[in-house]
Amino acid sequence: MMMDAWRYDTAQDLDHTLLERLRRCPREPDMLVYGLRALAALGIRAWLRVYHHLKVIGREHLRAEGSYVLVANHASHLDTLSLLSVLPLQKLHRAFPAAAADYFFTSVPRITVAAVIVNALPFDREVHFRQSLALCRALLANQGNILIIFPEGTRSVTGAIGPFKPGVGLLLAGTDVPVLPCHIDGAFEAWPKGRLLPRPGRLRLVIGAPRNYAALPPGKGSALQICHELREAVLDLAAMHRMSR
Amino acid sequence: MSPNAALQSDVFRLYLLVVGALLATAGGVLGVLTWGLRKNVQQVWVTYRGWLIMAPAVMGCILVGREATLFGWTLLAIFGMKEFARATGLYTDWWMTGTVYLAIAAISVATLMADPFTGHPGWFGLFMSLPVFVVATILLLPILRNRTQGQLQTISLAIVGFLYIGWMFGHLAFLANSNHPYGYLLYVILAVELSDVAAFTSGKLFGRHQLRSQISPNKTWEGALGALAVSMALPWILGFSFPHFGPVQRVLTGLIVGVGGQLGDLSISVIKRDLGIKDMGAVIPGHGGILDRIDSLIYVAPLFLHMVDYFYGLR
Repeated sequence: MMMDAWRYDTAQDLDHTLLERLRRCPREPDMLVYGLRALAALGIRAWLRVYHHLKVIGREHLRAEGSYVLVANHASHLDTLSLLSVLPLQKLHRAFPAAAADYFFTSVPRITVAAVIVNALPFDREVHFRQSLALCRALLANQGNILIIFPEGTRSVTGAIGPFKPGVGLLLAGTDVPVLPCHIDGAFEAWPKGRLLPRPGRLRLVIGAPRNYAALPPGKGSALQICHELREAVLDLAAMHRMSR
Repeated sequence: MSPNAALQSDVFRLYLLVVGALLATAGGVLGVLTWGLRKNVQQVWVTYRGWLIMAPAVMGCILVGREATLFGWTLLAIFGMKEFARATGLYTDWWMTGTVYLAIAAISVATLMADPFTGHPGWFGLFMSLPVFVVATILLLPILRNRTQGQLQTISLAIVGFLYIGWMFGHLAFLANSNHPYGYLLYVILAVELSDVAAFTSGKLFGRHQLRSQISPNKTWEGALGALAVSMALPWILGFSFPHFGPVQRVLTGLIVGVGGQLGDLSISVIKRDLGIKDMGAVIPGHGGILDRIDSLIYVAPLFLHMVDYFYGLR
């Protein structure tokens, strides 16, 4: 007669090396990583306030529960850091900024920063685009996850808001996941692409009201429409809160 | 223990020589196998590269001194415990895992601090009684959190994890407080690893009969006997580590390393088999996880320490 066997909750990434563990997504919770991330977040928040006088408008639109998507214009690494800095610390480990796999997940230092500090989701812009999209979908299906997407697909080199790629539309069409359009102003001036370190400069983050696209049927047509609407929403936020310089 | 003392100690210098010679010989043999006999030993090279990093790290810690040795041990034990917790699912309970981490830190503190009664380095009384307080704390956690669901499993895993990776393995660190730190520490580590290599080699060469078919299908009686033979010879070959040992103590040392080492290996295999995993982790390429490397030491260190303590006293 044998006792009933215990059910062990073995970590899924046991046979992975450290680097492979950082590269996969979603990552297994790790005390050390969570601790370092929280510590880094405190430093980054202080830096954004002191060095960049980050001002946040529309914080009330963020939700305490449920999954949602943040969509914003992209001209600087400061964009991701600013968006992350408005989330409560304990939510940080469930906020996934989609990051280009071919840029952030290629070298050891970049993987470490992307995975540990930013909790980035490796998004393959070319070959495994479908898998990346499926991963985003799976994350949103779990309650309490936050996905951060820059639909332009890359940092703008002029500071102007470029066309939105359809991925975000494909993700949102026909789902009741709320999406919050956001606009970040001042990031391009402070830390444009190609500059090694940021210079001081004011930042303003405007968070728009949530919307969802449950009514639209999934598909390419809806995706294009969603992209257009979201881009308009971001431009509206920019116009509404034009920063006086 | 200090860099000066280590470099002036004949025992430490001899071990530097022995370890260096062993690594060089192993590299030479592998070289002949690869380029001379054109054998495919790619996997063994990976394992060998692991040794090239681990051996200097261990020797370096012991060279720097007692504190560095203890610090190295603490890191090893905590990350070993992390592997155990991630493999068994205890890691989903951060309070329990954190408590065991703190308990391991307490083991290092008891090993580091001076005995308040005798003034000797290392408080042996506290070290030996620490499991009482740790088990009491572990049992306290579900009570404080007012929980029952699954708690017996969590408590059991935490206690096994602490006793095994914190306390038993802690005996290795405590050897740094003995009156022959270099001889005892270096002998135990080197003998255990050599016995492991002997088991692997003689198993590969002569292995026919499975040792424990259900637990570890790759281990054979031939491998075990080879390891035992090497372990029985080592107390004489490396006798400079403990010149005061008589024949009885040398035979006992050989048995503890030769039998205990393999039992330690098999006991981790039991855990791994039950969990349905191959290795405890993948941090050391060619070796698996930390626990896969230190499994034999965990078993041997406490037996050796208490044998020494019985016959000669630690100090």
